[in-house]
Amino acid sequence: MIIFEYLADLFGAIPAAFISGILPIAFVVPYALFAVYWERKVSAHMQDRLGPMRTGWHGYLQTIADILKLIQKEDIVATAVDKPLFNLAPILVFAGSYAAFAAIPFSSAYIGANVDLGMLYIIAVSGLVVAGILMAGWASNNKYSLIGAVRSAAQIVSYEIPTVIVILTLFSIVGTLNLYELSEIQSSNIFNWMIFGGNVIGWKKIVLIPLMFAAFIIIYLTTLAEVNRTPFDIPEAESELVAGYHTEYSGMKFAMFFLAEYANMFAVSAIVATLFLGGYHSPFGYLGNLLGISWLVPVEQFFWFTFKGLGFVTVQMWLRWTLPRLRVDQLMTVCWKYLIPLSFVIFLLVSLLMVL
Amino acid sequence: MNLYDIIFYLFAAVTLVSATFVVFTKNVIYAAYNLLLTLFGIAGLYILLGADFIGIVQLIIYVGGILILLLFGVMLTNKITDVQIKTGVLQVIPASVAVGMLAGILILIMTNMSWRDFGLSTPDKTIGGLGTLLMNEYIIIFELLGMLLLIALIGAANIARK
Amino acid sequence: MKQYISNIYSALITVFIGMKITFKHLFTPAVTIQYPDVRVALPGRVRNRLYVNMDDCIGCDQCARACPVSCIAIETVKSLPGEDLGKTSNGKKKALWVTKFDIDIAKCCYCQLCVFPCPTECIYMTDVYEFSEFEREKLVYSFTTLSKNEAIEKKQNFEKFEAEKAAQKAAPKPPAPETPSTNPQ
Repeated sequence: MIIFEYLADLFGAIPAAFISGILPIAFVVPYALFAVYWERKVSAHMQDRLGPMRTGWHGYLQTIADILKLIQKEDIVATAVDKPLFNLAPILVFAGSYAAFAAIPFSSAYIGANVDLGMLYIIAVSGLVVAGILMAGWASNNKYSLIGAVRSAAQIVSYEIPTVIVILTLFSIVGTLNLYELSEIQSSNIFNWMIFGGNVIGWKKIVLIPLMFAAFIIIYLTTLAEVNRTPFDIPEAESELVAGYHTEYSGMKFAMFFLAEYANMFAVSAIVATLFLGGYHSPFGYLGNLLGISWLVPVEQFFWFTFKGLGFVTVQMWLRWTLPRLRVDQLMTVCWKYLIPLSFVIFLLVSLLMVL
Repeated sequence: MNLYDIIFYLFAAVTLVSATFVVFTKNVIYAAYNLLLTLFGIAGLYILLGADFIGIVQLIIYVGGILILLLFGVMLTNKITDVQIKTGVLQVIPASVAVGMLAGILILIMTNMSWRDFGLSTPDKTIGGLGTLLMNEYIIIFELLGMLLLIALIGAANIARK
Repeated sequence: MKQYISNIYSALITVFIGMKITFKHLFTPAVTIQYPDVRVALPGRVRNRLYVNMDDCIGCDQCARACPVSCIAIETVKSLPGEDLGKTSNGKKKALWVTKFDIDIAKCCYCQLCVFPCPTECIYMTDVYEFSEFEREKLVYSFTTLSKNEAIEKKQNFEKFEAEKAAQKAAPKPPAPETPSTNPQ
């Protein structure tokens, strides 16, 4: 917001819109570099290993080396693939996951597009990811890819239902779909966070807290499933499907998928953080307010935002190295028999509470 | 020609070109993906008209739901049963007559209708008003649609059980 | 219904138990050894690369005969009567020039069978285990102390000596021979 206005003053409205549209990529790419390294380190230490240690101090240059390797690799396109779709799929997947960043408020000074239907928009563009995954799986002309893609689509489409219902629950409390406004509602106090019932006051808040905790767990699980992470990673199950829908990809196209996966991980973590844990708001108040330096507050907010997002990404990794993979039928059982009814119950109870 | 017009023509071009491809391509998968582009273009046009809710719902329902289902079905049948699904040209004369009549009606309406003209302005929040309308004036239609969907769901479950 | 709720409960609880375990492992020291920098201490009687102490070798060929994979190749030349080859460390007199003592370590199966028959304990296994090479020929280790020219020279010497002896035998009355009549071996 403030950043956009500043840029608009500098260059005019249209270039400013372009620049502020590109800004998230300046965040996503370094984040992905870090997250790949972080995942390798976390997984290694959880298995009593050390992980990458050679490239740089404790291997901190490892991902850069990996990226260099991927850039140099030959771009292999098998003869039996459907070339236009095969080449388009990674772009579509990345576009879908990157488009979600447009409506996420990074701090009170920056949001890509302050649209009124922010959350709904994010749900809509995540449909593009599914289309891209199906495209990749089909165009590869490989049975593992196709099975992986079909599984992935089935999983994402099923798990979208509890996600949307939980989001609906939340918005029946606050009455806005705009993530920026939602973040502002959760300001000033840790007990204003949605997980503690938001800005509702009185006895209703006490009743809301357990419901909100349950909703939080449900949405965390469903977003985990939507980004195809363990324990819901049957689309990429290495032991059965080689690598799922990106089996046939190599070089930069594989890197695109990789980047999209990690961008998606952060996007859903950031959404969960925005929905339930106050978005970019600090739990303790701001140093900038204390010292009277006004520009420090957005910086701090950005720090808290990335802190929460990365924290949830870390929990995703933690879960990955803790839980085994679910079978397809177990996956559907979890979704249709547990998460959807529970989210409906929560939705009904919360709506009732808000009407009272 | 201002920026608004440029964006409008961009979305219109995307919609039209991809719709043409949907009709003329022989490959069903290509048709489906071009349909995605078409729907995307239409959603863009909706949003450009200030109907952001309709645009986004278009994306959620058509791209996220129906198109995925379509692709799902085509992919599973095409690859697994080894039947090449291709489109062909059948019944040229009746089809062109029907399409010609439809096009005539559309053009007639387009030229004779007195279109309402709205000034360019940033749209207000649409979702609140929409919700109020749905829950007050059109509540019966809304509920009936819900019933319809429920019946369809039960029917599908019933067929699947047999 | 009771089953349903207990399923939810156990699912949640078991996830948290698992997460607790992995969290503990996050802080246990890693078992990885940073190999070239840190090495595991080898046990005292490891069998790795063979080494031959040529000062002690008498060229008896017993190790080559014991080798099950024939990775040791020894060629010897008898010394001339006047030459003194010295003694081994356990007091055996050396009588043969060892012109070739090649061990093809690529063939070696590290059975240590060559070590036991050695009368002077000059062939033994060391604890060196990093000796990979880019060319297979480099894995043939030559232990002989004689250079190529020296080996040829010794061979020629011996042949000359043999020829002289044969000539002596053929000639009925040789004049005073410088070499002693007793021929070793």
